[in-house]
Amino acid sequence: MRHYEVMVILDPSLDERTVAPSLDTFLNVIRESGGNVEKVDVWGRRRLSYEIAKRGEGIYAVIDVNCEPAAVKELDRQLGLQETVLRTKVLRREDTRAKA
Amino acid sequence: MRTRTPRRKPNPLHRAGVTRVDWKDVALLRTFLSDRGKIRSRRVTGLTPQQQRAVATAIRNAREMALLPYPTPARR
Repeated sequence: MRHYEVMVILDPSLDERTVAPSLDTFLNVIRESGGNVEKVDVWGRRRLSYEIAKRGEGIYAVIDVNCEPAAVKELDRQLGLQETVLRTKVLRREDTRAKA
Repeated sequence: MRTRTPRRKPNPLHRAGVTRVDWKDVALLRTFLSDRGKIRSRRVTGLTPQQQRAVATAIRNAREMALLPYPTPARR
């Protein structure tokens, strides 16, 4: 089991209120594989530093997760297939948490 | 003859509370970028090699997620 943080940039044309619930359905992959979701943080709409897929802004969300490597990989794959997802990034985070 | 004053080390301003550089802390990372979006050198930032590396990787990660700009060519 490892800590991961997954950042997702979503299409700005989505309704911000629907973001959290729809992300949650994807997180079932994690839960089913025995991992747990620690936090889903929706930052909301933000200006992008450069255009991604002709979009000038995006809805950012950061997901903190504790699970097996295979599970995040699957999550990342499924998110990437989604057309409303502009970009994703998965990072290990051994910081802050390790001591606390 | 002018005596050269021993260069004052610009204190790693970093010790302003930050022990681990977070790639999501855009406001902090911005301070390490020039206005063209390049990463400032150690000579300028006065960070330790370890800190500089941590900052640089954080900036690169943030760039990938469009949180920070990539360097832009000279004239606009």
